[in-house]
Amino acid sequence: MAELGIEHFLFLSAALFVIGMTGLLTRRNLLVIFMCVELILTSVNISLVAFGWETNTLNGQIFAIFAISIAAAEAAVGLGIILALSRRIRSVDVADIRELRD
Amino acid sequence: MPWGVIFFYLIATVSILSAIGVVAARNPVHSSIFLVLCFLNVAGIFVMLGAEFLAVIQVIVYTGAILVLVLFVLMLVNPDELPSFTDAQPLQRYLGLLLGAVLLLEVGAAIITRTALEGVGEATPENVAAVGGNVHAVGRVLFSDYLLAFEVISIVLTVGILGAIVLAAPERLGEKLATRRGTISLSHTRGTDAELPVGPRGETPIKTDPNRRPPRPEAPRRVIKVTDPDERTTIGGTRR
Repeated sequence: MAELGIEHFLFLSAALFVIGMTGLLTRRNLLVIFMCVELILTSVNISLVAFGWETNTLNGQIFAIFAISIAAAEAAVGLGIILALSRRIRSVDVADIRELRD
Repeated sequence: MPWGVIFFYLIATVSILSAIGVVAARNPVHSSIFLVLCFLNVAGIFVMLGAEFLAVIQVIVYTGAILVLVLFVLMLVNPDELPSFTDAQPLQRYLGLLLGAVLLLEVGAAIITRTALEGVGEATPENVAAVGGNVHAVGRVLFSDYLLAFEVISIVLTVGILGAIVLAAPERLGEKLATRRGTISLSHTRGTDAELPVGPRGETPIKTDPNRRPPRPEAPRRVIKVTDPDERTTIGGTRR
């Protein structure tokens, strides 16, 4: 553990991913769920860049740039959906969204 | 222990703790502030991995744009409608924590037992420094090998902006405004009094549109906000 290896970064990425997934499963606020999705995307970016760092290529960084771009588009659309939902059913609780179920 | 390792553990600890704060905070505003802290630490991780351009993008796009967007939406959503952390079902909470622990074990086992990749690429730190740094190197690859993907990303972002505008626009924007046909009364809703089928001088009853939907039942409120007078009054309306 004296030298910084890729396992360090992979474990950090895994920890952030698992924390984000746990929040995704346990929280009921749509906005917090959205933030957990962003956390998961960022953790995957860390492992992409770490793999590129290990293999001396730039492809990992390119993939991470594309992932960030897609995350930006996803943030715009997702927050628009949350806004429309909160205007329509006056709630951001996922338990209240049941129009397809009932 | 070299300084790089010490800095890594510092940054990793702060980012993991702030990620836990995102999940565990009761107030969503606190969650978003914790998320800013986590993303700034991730930018530090990117710098340690030699991806300076990505670190700058991380700060600008995530903490600059997306989190500001999240805070805006948080303020547009009525705060007393936000559910708190404690209203999750206990089964849901424990199952989520259990699944998270299992996934962490699985991913940890996968990381430990993986076979190491060889250093196959030519983007060694010396070569990257020779072409003028990380930004130059990334730019060369991005605009040569990945040019088509770059253009497609721009189309995706444009469509995303259009979709966000369409989704977030008010529902009333495209509807035709209803013309007022009766007197305004704030005391009763449409259809509650059938005693006024004709006008005072015996006019024919005013026909109401049969396709018109009755007012949508809403949650009980104290203040009646009248936006459409026809929803609150009737002359000759049929009982619905």
